[in-house]
Amino acid sequence: MAKFARVIDTKSCMGCQSCVSACMVENHCTSGTLWNTMLEFESGKYPKTKKIFLTMGCMHCDKPACMAACKKVGANAISKKEDGAVLIDYNKCIGCRECEAVCPYGVPRYNEEVTPLYPGTKGTEYESISDKYRHSTHRKRANTAEKCTFCRHKIEQAEKDGKTDEIGDNPEYTPTCDVVCPVRARTFGDIDNPDSKVSKKLESKKAVQIKKEFGTGPQVHYLLEEGVELETYGRT
Amino acid sequence: MRSTRRDFIKTVVALGGMASLNGLMPLISAAAESATSSATGMSVKSIKTTCCYCVNYCGISVKTVNGTIRGIYPDPARAAVFNRGICPMGSAGAFNAYNPYRLKVPLKRTNPNKGLNEDPRWVEISWEEAFSTIAARMNKIKKEDPAKVVWQTGHGQYLMNMNFMEAFFAAFGSPNVVGRASECIASRFVAEGLTWGNISCLPDLDHTNMLLNFGSNYFEADQWARWLDYNVTRARGRGMKVVVMDPRLSNSAGKADEWIPVRPGTDVVMILAMAKVMMDDGTIDIPFLNTYTNASNLVDEDGLIISSGEGDPLVWDSTSNSARPFTSDVTPTLTGTYTVEGKTARTAYQVFVDSLKDITPEYAEEVCDIPAATITRLAREFAKAARIGSTITLNGQKLRYRPAAVYTFRGVTAKEFGVQNWRSGLILEMLIGGIDAVGGVQTYKPMSKGAFFETSKCEYPPKRMDLAQSVYYPYSFLGVAQQMQRSMSDPEAYGLDYKPEMQFFYATNRSFSCAEPQKQFEALSKTFNVVIELFMSETAWYGDIVLPDITYLESWHLSQTRWTVGATHHAIRQPVTNAYNLPHDGFSIIWELAKRTGIRDRYIEQLNEKWGLKENKLETGRDYTAREVVEILWHSKTKKDFSYALEHAFLGNHKNTKERYLSGVESKFKGPGKSKMKFYADQLVTSMAKVQETVTKHEIKNIDLANHKLAMLPLPVREHAKPRGHQVDHMPFYLITYKVSYRYHSGANISLNPVLRSLGKDATENCILINRDTAIKMGIRDGTMLVVESRIGKVKGKASLTEGIRPDTVAVSNSYGQWSPGLPEHTHKGMWINQALESNSDVISGMESYNDTKCKVYKV
Repeated sequence: MAKFARVIDTKSCMGCQSCVSACMVENHCTSGTLWNTMLEFESGKYPKTKKIFLTMGCMHCDKPACMAACKKVGANAISKKEDGAVLIDYNKCIGCRECEAVCPYGVPRYNEEVTPLYPGTKGTEYESISDKYRHSTHRKRANTAEKCTFCRHKIEQAEKDGKTDEIGDNPEYTPTCDVVCPVRARTFGDIDNPDSKVSKKLESKKAVQIKKEFGTGPQVHYLLEEGVELETYGRT
Repeated sequence: MRSTRRDFIKTVVALGGMASLNGLMPLISAAAESATSSATGMSVKSIKTTCCYCVNYCGISVKTVNGTIRGIYPDPARAAVFNRGICPMGSAGAFNAYNPYRLKVPLKRTNPNKGLNEDPRWVEISWEEAFSTIAARMNKIKKEDPAKVVWQTGHGQYLMNMNFMEAFFAAFGSPNVVGRASECIASRFVAEGLTWGNISCLPDLDHTNMLLNFGSNYFEADQWARWLDYNVTRARGRGMKVVVMDPRLSNSAGKADEWIPVRPGTDVVMILAMAKVMMDDGTIDIPFLNTYTNASNLVDEDGLIISSGEGDPLVWDSTSNSARPFTSDVTPTLTGTYTVEGKTARTAYQVFVDSLKDITPEYAEEVCDIPAATITRLAREFAKAARIGSTITLNGQKLRYRPAAVYTFRGVTAKEFGVQNWRSGLILEMLIGGIDAVGGVQTYKPMSKGAFFETSKCEYPPKRMDLAQSVYYPYSFLGVAQQMQRSMSDPEAYGLDYKPEMQFFYATNRSFSCAEPQKQFEALSKTFNVVIELFMSETAWYGDIVLPDITYLESWHLSQTRWTVGATHHAIRQPVTNAYNLPHDGFSIIWELAKRTGIRDRYIEQLNEKWGLKENKLETGRDYTAREVVEILWHSKTKKDFSYALEHAFLGNHKNTKERYLSGVESKFKGPGKSKMKFYADQLVTSMAKVQETVTKHEIKNIDLANHKLAMLPLPVREHAKPRGHQVDHMPFYLITYKVSYRYHSGANISLNPVLRSLGKDATENCILINRDTAIKMGIRDGTMLVVESRIGKVKGKASLTEGIRPDTVAVSNSYGQWSPGLPEHTHKGMWINQALESNSDVISGMESYNDTKCKVYKV
């Protein structure tokens, strides 16, 4: 069974926000409930200043704090798949926002009201795509927590097509944020496959987990900008 | 139905609801689809096409679900020749089409008064009424003087290539087709044109080891951003050093090996000081300068290159110790002062050397606020990285190897003396022999535009309303966008013997995006304006007739592509949807007008000429759809069947080593008996003489000859670091502008795109970037409301404190603060900083100045 992870090279990331924009479209996000965000901060005093961009989606932790919290309140809406993805079942979510409160990375988004993308309008043709044609993770509901799914619909499509070995390479089966990155700062794939690109990146031992001290075992790893301490990233 | 400005927004959205059922099927591509159907009845298709949301033209693959755009992705096949990924705008491109605020029916103004506070009192009209009204007016004007009809295009030239518009107006009889280059890249292109006879260059990033980037922001919004971003990143991965000169810590600077926060406008002095260090050190490529450039040409005391009786430039032959044309038995001398026919002459290089006598790194430190030691170090690092004299063998070809490159985009060019600023960069590259060398700066088809090497026509009276190619802007390229409305306000002052009565604005929000925009809008009141647009832009608000256009996801076109180092490619754009069932685009509007003004067949002939169609060409006597024309053009460019275009949307080829490195300056300039690259731009000397003669002869009052002369010097000088806008003592801050990746321009309804508006910081509202220490001293915090006040205007906005800007500079991003009453209130956010920008256009190119203003900053 595959286990999915991502490596993001913050030395290369130029902060363009393409991954944020593409995620929003891919996952039918509404304004204010983006599943991927771009944090930008400066390192150093003028004129020895660097820019750091940190794109943050779900870390798909091995020990997800969100899942524990959800279980604790009895909703059991959050589960961890064998392949590592942490998912929210909207039908079970009770909107308690506990997951949002406990996530060290501030990932879950509470969708209070599913509003049209253009305020005050009836919604566009794109928004009118019926639930019948949407993956379950894209059937948005009010008072529900949402977050990045590692583009579950694409992973499932790969499984259906018998092409899981192409996950991470074939755009059809790879999370969209990783597909659109203009500078190839993002690598996604199966870490159980030692030949996958993501395994190779992790082998270099340079990739680190942010806020590791929370003990959740995040599965998104970062290559840090030279000369910038890990703690700097952790403060975000 | 007559509608007030309040009603307008409601009506336009309501129409959206009715129209968004399905597109007009005949307009939609059927062939280039890979369809998968499932038992659920869901039809998923992928259509390859070309993005035109900005000017990068990335290859995209558009996924549709039951005909609705579901996602836009980079076309993996284009990665080898252009884009690896796509930008946030490209990802969100569906909302260029699905925007409910798009215009959907032709509108007619019923209030004759025009102004920000004037309600146009729009009335919806039929296409028939719109066309007959426009054509009747055009026919009337055509009888009097067709030049009185003007066509202006901005981003629109990418929705429909300039050739169509130029062909139409050539047939109609008006010279007035005005592009947008002067708001974008004109000075850079003109500097390159003056140097090697064609526009454009790129660093050879497969091999470059050191990149000096003077203000290009390829990690945000730049014309080649989606090729440069990946290739710069990749080259850095193998060790290329990147140094970025920019007063602001752009994303490109923030990710560079070194950020050099040069004082605004002074790059030219820094570059000249670096050149002096390299020349004093002797780290220059003498054989290159002698063999490829005119640096060894002899120059007389009037600054003119001395020629033989046959008109061949003379060099000093070290073998015969005499002045001779550069022939095979002549060895040119790079330096020295000589006597030629009793008169003193210096080599062009010597003129440059003498001009730099006092431009020491210490002097440059005073001007640029960069330590002299840093300037010296960078000059030496650059010279060392260039490996002057070395060669490399690639695929059996022994080639010059100079893996050090300079680059810019708007950084040193969107300003007065922009041509000269970038010329200094090109001279630096010439000093190391890096032009068309492996790892240096690659040119694009040098000498394809030979007119750049000639003395300018310096027309007077000007033929064109924008004064392009006239005595005012002798080498302007693709028009002087901002000049149009200034000429309109007082044509006689510019020697124009006619006054336009009708203006078309095709996919351009020009009046909004110029510096000193107040003057632009004043002039719009004076003509009958037809605006072809996607949305009720500020320019459209001043329209008399407004025609709804369709987006790049809804139309056919032989798309322009950005050339890249080592590759050639052709692409098409094909419709994926037609979100609001709109019947016309720029192509069909022009076609209809050609018919109604009786020039269709002449237009067809002009199209054949402009596109160079000979065998498979457009036939007169019949109409064409856009798709039919695209098919013909595709054949002519690629010789491939159109089915290939429908499936792949592009055809790319890699150049072999010989084509890549030996077909440019090697073949055009190298050796005796050939033209020479213009190290010394002598055509500016002869053009200036013509300017002077013309000004005297016609007693032209509104040309400042001293300023023209300074702008048109054959070599860059220290005074080119002093734009008029900076010569203000009582304003303590420099005001500069920039573009972000999710707000590239003020057109194409970007400000309305809900995805781009959701991206967080700076997404809906721009700020005033101010140095943190400076701000704290002034009692300013993040979010403090400030006034930026220049000599021409005041703008209010929020402060954003940063370590990433010079203490004496504030920066504001362009394309925010849209105010059109035809747009919803929530888009009216941020600062329209152009109101405070002084316009001191570059004399040579006509480039607008976006970075030449000084200002005060204070709390509201």
